Amino acid sequence: MAEALLSVRNLRVEIVTRRATLLAVDDVSFDIAEGEVLGVVGESGAGKSITGNAIIGLIDPPLRRAGGEIAYAGKRIDNLDAETMRTLRGRHIGAVFQDPLTSLNPLLTVGRQLVQTIITHLDLSGSEARKRAVQLLAEVGFPAPRERLDCYPHELSGGMRQRVVLALAFCCEPNLIIADEPTTALDVSVQAQVIKLFRRMCRERGTSVMLITHDMGVISEISDRVAVMYAGRVVEIGTARAVLNAPAHPYTRGLMASIPTVQRTKSELPQIAGNMPRLAAVPSGCAFHPRCPCRLPRCDRERPVLAPAGETQSVCWLTATRDDTASIEAARDA
Amino acid sequence: MSAQSVTKPEPAPRWWQDDLLHDFLRSPVALTAALLTVAIVAIAVGADVVAPYDSNDPASANLIDARLPPGSIGLIGNRYLLGTDPLGRDMLSAIIFGLRTSLMVGAASVLLAAAIGITLGLICGYFRGLLDTIVMRIADLQLSFPAILIALLIDGVTRTVVDRGTHDRLAIPVLIAAIAASYWVQYARTVRGLVLVERGKEYVLAARVTGVSPLRIIATHIQPNVMGPVFVVATINMSLAILTEATLSFLGVGVPPTKPSLGSLVRIGNEFLFSGDWWISIFPGAMLVVLCLAVNLLGDWLRDALNPKLSDG
Amino acid sequence: MLEQNVPILAVRGLTKRFPVWKPWIIQLMSRQPRRMVHAVEDVSLKVERGTTYALVGESGCGKSTIARCIAGILAPTAGTITFMGADITMPSERRDARRRHLQMIFQDPYASLNPRWRIGRVIAEPIVTHRLVVGRGRLKARIDELLTLVGLSPQDARKYSHQFSGGQRQRISIARALASDPAFLICDEPTSALDVSVQAQILNLMRRLQMQFGLSYLLISHNLAVVAHMADHVGVMYLGRLVEWGAAQSVLERPLHPYTRMLLDAIPNIAIAGRYRQPLKGEVPSPISPPSGCAFHPRCPLANGRCAREQPRAIELGPVSVACHAVEEGRAAALSSSVV
Repeated sequence: MAEALLSVRNLRVEIVTRRATLLAVDDVSFDIAEGEVLGVVGESGAGKSITGNAIIGLIDPPLRRAGGEIAYAGKRIDNLDAETMRTLRGRHIGAVFQDPLTSLNPLLTVGRQLVQTIITHLDLSGSEARKRAVQLLAEVGFPAPRERLDCYPHELSGGMRQRVVLALAFCCEPNLIIADEPTTALDVSVQAQVIKLFRRMCRERGTSVMLITHDMGVISEISDRVAVMYAGRVVEIGTARAVLNAPAHPYTRGLMASIPTVQRTKSELPQIAGNMPRLAAVPSGCAFHPRCPCRLPRCDRERPVLAPAGETQSVCWLTATRDDTASIEAARDA
Repeated sequence: MSAQSVTKPEPAPRWWQDDLLHDFLRSPVALTAALLTVAIVAIAVGADVVAPYDSNDPASANLIDARLPPGSIGLIGNRYLLGTDPLGRDMLSAIIFGLRTSLMVGAASVLLAAAIGITLGLICGYFRGLLDTIVMRIADLQLSFPAILIALLIDGVTRTVVDRGTHDRLAIPVLIAAIAASYWVQYARTVRGLVLVERGKEYVLAARVTGVSPLRIIATHIQPNVMGPVFVVATINMSLAILTEATLSFLGVGVPPTKPSLGSLVRIGNEFLFSGDWWISIFPGAMLVVLCLAVNLLGDWLRDALNPKLSDG
Repeated sequence: MLEQNVPILAVRGLTKRFPVWKPWIIQLMSRQPRRMVHAVEDVSLKVERGTTYALVGESGCGKSTIARCIAGILAPTAGTITFMGADITMPSERRDARRRHLQMIFQDPYASLNPRWRIGRVIAEPIVTHRLVVGRGRLKARIDELLTLVGLSPQDARKYSHQFSGGQRQRISIARALASDPAFLICDEPTSALDVSVQAQILNLMRRLQMQFGLSYLLISHNLAVVAHMADHVGVMYLGRLVEWGAAQSVLERPLHPYTRMLLDAIPNIAIAGRYRQPLKGEVPSPISPPSGCAFHPRCPLANGRCAREQPRAIELGPVSVACHAVEEGRAAALSSSVV
């Protein structure tokens, strides 16, 4: 089996507040192979953005990495100094963030930002960098790329800006891109365009992607594998098809069931009772147990570990005990 | 279908657990500045008790003891820790009473300026329209004049209009009004800007949809939410107000001679500065510096501490 | 009391244009006519008692502007709004007693509650403003009743809004809206800022309250799936105009207008992992200078010369009305659709 491009093991990120130290990311592990798109999905507060930021090294106090290893192309990157990390970012690991307004410098033209980034990380002359910038703009779908080089971000619409952000992310040909909610701020129709473009660019270059989002629809479109996060932990991981169509973990199942679809009209939506726990009050044992309809007695005492469950791998006592299929059925119908 | 939080609801934090207080107690700068300010205010308020001699009582001034250096002992055994002024008044007492006057004028003018500025800012920001345009243009015009000039102008006009006796009686209120008139603009602009932001927020819209009257909305919804930055402006302005009063008194158009302030003390000692009697100017000047520094540091810290809260919304 | 067959809310020809503000001196010097943002153009709709009417569209289509005109926050440029038989077009008629029966829930759960007020006071405000309950004891009882109704506990009245999650804050907003005993609720993207599982809770709560109190809703949303769950009638908007409207089931299952069809097609189908949506060309044009004729024609695969010149008129086809030349001319069948 080929070695994973990105390997995260037992990552822990803490938030230091004056009252207590909270755990925002708790023992998270996953791999991303070359050319693979891993979707990290979860609701707000699940810790997925912090995980992405920790990987690129964009964690500032009061957040701090408190454990675990991150390896890129076989070498550890979590213990690098700031300067080395900076060169790694941009050249090998690119980033796409949610808000195109704040991702682009409003005072610089699009062309300048592209050229600056290219020159910083690649050994090209000014004119070569400019040519490459025009190529990129054409690739992301600008009809008149040469003229667009001199545009300022505020002159472009939201979708166009996000395309520029994509161009920036890909301009140094990174092997891995961390995309944090890349289409959340866009309209539905523009979302579809941008997702298609993103997928195409990744496929053509064989780029790996860690796609962080709460939008299941986007996940279903471009992810190869999916990791579901809850309260700072990974609760389920598997292929996209398996996680979305046949999830094993009760949280994932509740989540998928509560998504409204156009087909299913005017009926009561299944819902998960309660709210995601606050970081200061994460339940003992399994973090989901207070809200779980299939709760077992051991769930509030012992923290479950990742184990195969059906088509996916799930962090759950219910699914781990394989001979309990009868109780799974009973709990599902409860 | 219980929608209640399944984790135990935490009790509301008590005021002594408040983040701001916590920050405050941890910052040495803030603590020192605050203690200093409190000490100064306490001395000023208790001037009658603290000062060794009553500056306002002409009987305490012994002409024979005029211009004695610090630490001297007067003819009848009075101890003058910081020396005496040309009239034989004890410098220490004069400074303490002067401190009281300076603080009083400073605080009163800040309060008056804030009252005018906040009210105008609220009304202009919420209702917009012609009133807003007029008031803001007046504010812009006024900003192009230095505050001192405006205060001088108001004071000068009052002098010509009113006779000498009445003017002496009214000197301090006029001074307060003059300083307030020079500084209201900052409050008005700050508040107006914040009101423009708040009025578009959805909780204000919700109140409008509910049918709450505009004045009630301003008073109960908007005003409490814009006061934060006003406190910062006020503390910074406080030292400016004190300095303005000192400058005006130094120029001779501030407090009447019967009620000396730190500025007028500096003025008195100015003539003697180069003839060797340095203590008459330097000590009041130093006191002024310490006072303004303490107030400024407090204001600086307050601004930084309130900042993340401001951005949290 | 309102007669049975009269709609509780009737909007006719609603138009709202905003002037584009420039500093007046530049306006003077440039000698150009003032530009207008055509936010809403000639929108008419009726909401029947106890039903939900959903306005759907992407950003900039004007649906929020319509909501605010109806709520009395904005004054329409033209058109009329009739609520419970009374004309409420102009905001100054706030004192009209009927206004209190029309309340609104907003999108942002974090900005829709005063951060400095305890939520008991937040919920009490409409009651106090309209003097609906007299006496502190009865006021407290009413607040407790409202909190329980939306799934919170009476102890929560003492807390501040920042102590609650987004979903709980929306519940508080709903409680506040219900405090004045309304007949009609305008819901402006009530769940767009919420997580999926919380969204399900809030939507279920809204439906339950509708059935319990016979409320009528005007639901504003860009999410067609949410609309499918809540709405009896749907109006699809594009650049300030209604392009298709009618019974929800018909519009969503058998869409006629090309924009509606493409909008439905743009929704990802989660059950089929890896399936591509068919993206729409281009982006929504600026409402300051909308395209001539039918505003959708630059992006429409069925556009012809007439579409670029003439504004389409509404035609009624059973439970649905459409404003589209292609539909009128019978060309719409040419558009293949992968919708259910």
